[in-house]
Amino acid sequence: MSGHFSAFSFVDRITAFEPGVRARGAFAIPAPIAHFPACLVAEAVGQLAAWTAMAHIEFRGRPVAALASETRFSRDVKPGQVLDLSVEIDDCDDAAVAYHGEASVAGVRVIELRDCLGPMLPVADFDEPVAMAARLALLRAEGAPPGRFHGVPTLRVVRTSTAEPGVAEGTLQVPAQAAFFADHFPRRPVFPATLLLDAQLTLAQAMLAESGHGSAGALLAPTRMMRVKVRSFTAPGTALQLRAALRPDNSQGETLMVDLTASADDKPVATARAEFSARVQA
Amino acid sequence: MSTVITQDEINAVFPTVSATMADALGCDVEDIKPNVSLIEGLDAESIDFLDMVFRLERAFKIKIPRGKIVENARGTLTEAEFEQKGIVTDVGMAQLKSYLSEVPADRFKTPMKVADIPRLFTPETFCKLVVQAQRDAKAAA
Repeated sequence: MSGHFSAFSFVDRITAFEPGVRARGAFAIPAPIAHFPACLVAEAVGQLAAWTAMAHIEFRGRPVAALASETRFSRDVKPGQVLDLSVEIDDCDDAAVAYHGEASVAGVRVIELRDCLGPMLPVADFDEPVAMAARLALLRAEGAPPGRFHGVPTLRVVRTSTAEPGVAEGTLQVPAQAAFFADHFPRRPVFPATLLLDAQLTLAQAMLAESGHGSAGALLAPTRMMRVKVRSFTAPGTALQLRAALRPDNSQGETLMVDLTASADDKPVATARAEFSARVQA
Repeated sequence: MSTVITQDEINAVFPTVSATMADALGCDVEDIKPNVSLIEGLDAESIDFLDMVFRLERAFKIKIPRGKIVENARGTLTEAEFEQKGIVTDVGMAQLKSYLSEVPADRFKTPMKVADIPRLFTPETFCKLVVQAQRDAKAAA
């Protein structure tokens, strides 16, 4: 199956594994790709947690969509680097998995996920359970061949005008076809929430730059994402309305808070709050 | 210990429950009235229920069986006694009204689909869940 376990899979190898308890693994960011956004690092941590959770309930269910109380972005990552992933499962049953975890590069933490929660839905609705179990066995043994991931297409937000200061709005047209849909997921293509969050952060970053925030022309970067709540699936071809709004109660000082919302047909799809400040570049 | 959850017990946990719910739903705590419908009054969705249960577990250091609120509402009735083809039976409705005693009678529609039972849930429903979980934890200790 073209793209399955490659076009949107971010665990190459699992080096330590206790189903429903904890896991460690790695993902080598292919050197040839142009960019690997921080949200995909979060995706890698979440995918390791998903393997741990699915194994615990014998592949009856898989976590989809998500709640994430807090994600801390410490450093950017670059193609060619290797992500060391670790997760601790706080709770796991057929209804949901709760976990926390982190990713590091050469021993330096680059991202941390706290208090994440994923509702479990039947694996068979999204993928092939037997193939999933076989894939886990491969990841726990010799690992998947590196370099499978070839990047994701650039997703542009077409800005719409708004008279509100500190607010940016736009439309994100989810492609009807993309390689990642073959992997996410083979039986039910769903636009990855982490790509949506990346687009939301990009919109917020542009809004802050246009509003004159940041010192001496330096671009502010997202340092934390809080209260991420993905409410519904986004199908291929969906037009998403994005909004980034600077919070009025936090618009002073070096740290800025921005409320992020995404909706489709006036129904909320995802909400989050992002913190922007100067961040260390790798 | 009495099996009936008292108003005093509900009142004791309500401030934390309402603050937790407001945080999960992104609304003001003043909007969390004890008997407002979470779905129809506060626009809560299934993901919000999961979020609220998760947060309440942490806030109260308790364990609430996720996705089992309807099972709790069924009480001692078997599934066949409680519902037929997805519709709550008469005896099931009596049990439901007893379990969800905080919900005004006019909100129980007949016939009622099992899938629509969460529409009845209120903050007080979750207060009772918390109190019951606290009792269970105490009994297990």
